[in-house]
Amino acid sequence: MKILVVEDDEVAAEYVKKGLSEAGHVVDLAADGDTALEMAGAADYDAVILDRMLPKRDGLEVLSNMRENGNATPVLILSALGETDHKVEGLRAGGDDYLAKPYSFTELLARVEAIGRRSDPTAAVTKLKVGDLEMDLLARTVRRAGQKVLLQPREFRLLECLMRNAGRVVTRTMLLEKVWDYHFDPQTNVIDVHISRLRGKIDKEFETPLLHTVRGAGYRLQP
Amino acid sequence: MNATAKHKDAQPLGDLAETLSRLLKNTVFRLSLVGAVLFGGSLLVAQLIVYDTIVSSELRRIEEGLKNELSELEVIFQSGGDAELLAAQQSGILPQNASDINLEQVALARAIFDAGARERTSRYVTLRDVSPDIYSMFVFKGAAVGKLVTEDIQTLGMASKDLPQFDRSSSLIWEKAIATVENPETGDVEERRISAVGLVIGKEGQIDEPPDGVLFVGRDVENIMRTGERMRSAMTTSSLIALFLGILSSIFVARRFARRVDSLNQLANDVQAGHLDRRAPRNYSEDEMDRLAEHLNGMLDHIDRLMKAMRYAGDSVAHDLRTPLTRLRTRLETAAVEAGDKPEADVLYAAASDADQLLKTFDSVLRIARLEAGERRELLKPLDPKPILDDLAELYEPACDDVGITFTHHIDKGLMIMADRGLLSQAVSNLVENAIKYTPVDMDGEAGSGRIHLSAKKSPRGRVRIAVADDGPGIPKFDRERVKERFVRLDKSRTKPGSGLGLALVDAVAELHQAELIMDDGLGADAVIAGQDDHEGRPGLKVELVFPRVKARKADPEATTAQTDKLT
Repeated sequence: MKILVVEDDEVAAEYVKKGLSEAGHVVDLAADGDTALEMAGAADYDAVILDRMLPKRDGLEVLSNMRENGNATPVLILSALGETDHKVEGLRAGGDDYLAKPYSFTELLARVEAIGRRSDPTAAVTKLKVGDLEMDLLARTVRRAGQKVLLQPREFRLLECLMRNAGRVVTRTMLLEKVWDYHFDPQTNVIDVHISRLRGKIDKEFETPLLHTVRGAGYRLQP
Repeated sequence: MNATAKHKDAQPLGDLAETLSRLLKNTVFRLSLVGAVLFGGSLLVAQLIVYDTIVSSELRRIEEGLKNELSELEVIFQSGGDAELLAAQQSGILPQNASDINLEQVALARAIFDAGARERTSRYVTLRDVSPDIYSMFVFKGAAVGKLVTEDIQTLGMASKDLPQFDRSSSLIWEKAIATVENPETGDVEERRISAVGLVIGKEGQIDEPPDGVLFVGRDVENIMRTGERMRSAMTTSSLIALFLGILSSIFVARRFARRVDSLNQLANDVQAGHLDRRAPRNYSEDEMDRLAEHLNGMLDHIDRLMKAMRYAGDSVAHDLRTPLTRLRTRLETAAVEAGDKPEADVLYAAASDADQLLKTFDSVLRIARLEAGERRELLKPLDPKPILDDLAELYEPACDDVGITFTHHIDKGLMIMADRGLLSQAVSNLVENAIKYTPVDMDGEAGSGRIHLSAKKSPRGRVRIAVADDGPGIPKFDRERVKERFVRLDKSRTKPGSGLGLALVDAVAELHQAELIMDDGLGADAVIAGQDDHEGRPGLKVELVFPRVKARKADPEATTAQTDKLT
């Protein structure tokens, strides 16, 4: 993916660039709002990582300008302002996701890949398939190697989220936000418990595990 | 207001009474009502003064005139009144025998007496005999024909026909009489009021004996009396109209004033509800209300500036602190990933999670500060807490199960509270996590050793109580208020992870929702009382959020669907 990172803090920007490059993405950097707007208009990016507090032009202003110009590039807003109302503001202005500082890099990577993929036209599918695991979104059924797997509604949504991001890390916070719609981090390992139950249903009786734990980051569904 | 409008059709009387009692509670109405009554009263007094000046003085003037005429007549009679009377009797108009006079038929002694009196006094003088023994004289001015009815004359009881002289020793007799007057041209008969003054006729020194007669001089006062009556009725009417208009204007002024006060009250309510951008409407008339609105707005501007400054400071601190911490965290994370399977990786991951903890604490402090500022109160919507609590139960049940805690929940259907879904979830989640943290767990993870119960029900007074109860060690009564404060941690829990902000956040959320946060003994209380061993004196803790009654208003269906949409 070609990603534009708008961040005024050079050190942070370099870290993000380094990390994203290592993950196989092409990264451009912009240090202020005006440059960001110019660059976003000039080249076709798959995703933009946008800091809210920027010199010259506020991040949200850049975003609304982009949207006014008909630029539909997915935008991940990055900011120290982690309050829910700020998130809402950011999403209303046209952002696709919101991440509060400090973020773990894996979280940032997972999210930017998730939104970048959203512009993929295959997003409106009715069937998902990862290895021999199949999900029918209309019939709400799941099969592994042709064998029916019975899931609770929440487990189904959990698995759906993982399957939509197959091959990529999905963090606990992402799961909480997307599956439960909670914007706070529980202290306890509630997500781990749900994952382990899901794992018991889709992986237990099969030789190759599909649901992997990524240390310090989250989970990944991969054949 | 809506509610009253709805009831208007059903209970117009009750509504009127309500309106009246509301009006009477209105200070402005009461003040202007007093003003109206005072105005009506002073108008009446002013009119009475005018009445007195015009009517009473005219009557007094007439009486004065009557007295003068009486004095003149007195002179005439002293010089020959008796003779004239005799002449009248001799001419046959007045019967010789006084007892033959028919009061109804005789047009009195007019012609005869006239003949004598007219030339000299140019007055109609009527002599009237009311009984064989008593006669009195009436002198009218103006009315040609008249019948005078007086009742009091007979009571004078005069016995003698002689009219030697006027008795100056007795006082004047004032009479009000009614004359039936016939208009000679049209033939109409009307009753007119007469004011008459009389002088007793008798011999000098005849004090003990009955007087001989009374000489009356009368004057038609019908016109002036009518004028007086018209004035009185005009006065009454105008005073009543003034009073009525006064009440009307009081109501008008009161309502006008009340509207302006109401708008200020509404403003205060809105601001309290977190709408800091509202301002009082002004009409720039520079009157007291306008100036009050101006001052209120100035005050609100100031509060707004302070709030913004506080938010800005918070945001700046957040930004300035988080940027380096993000770097720190990224560095640790990168190092951890690079360390791979080496043992250092554990230390690095732990350090990264410490940095996370630090930032979470910082976040919580900021969040509590904002909740306490009431900024988000406007986000509260009427909602049924059941789906939210069921979700939380579903989230925590497996986690509890894993560590050997029995998690149960019972959420009543059809409850309604004013709440924000996110904040409610977070508050209840904090309570459940606290319960998990302090509920004892058997090392072997055997189920049934600890219990947590999440419940929601309606109290008899219609308040919704959401409670999380456990059977952990509980919190002693005297510590229960203290633990709501920030960073307060009881000695027993120092060893557990946590920042001491969990309950403070719940308290802030409760405050924002105008809910009460109540702590009580939990699930172990009965066992402790019963002295059962398995609880080792642990009463447990029950933390309740008691939400105020939601005023009868349907839940916003859009709000609920929007929430469900977000879930999917």
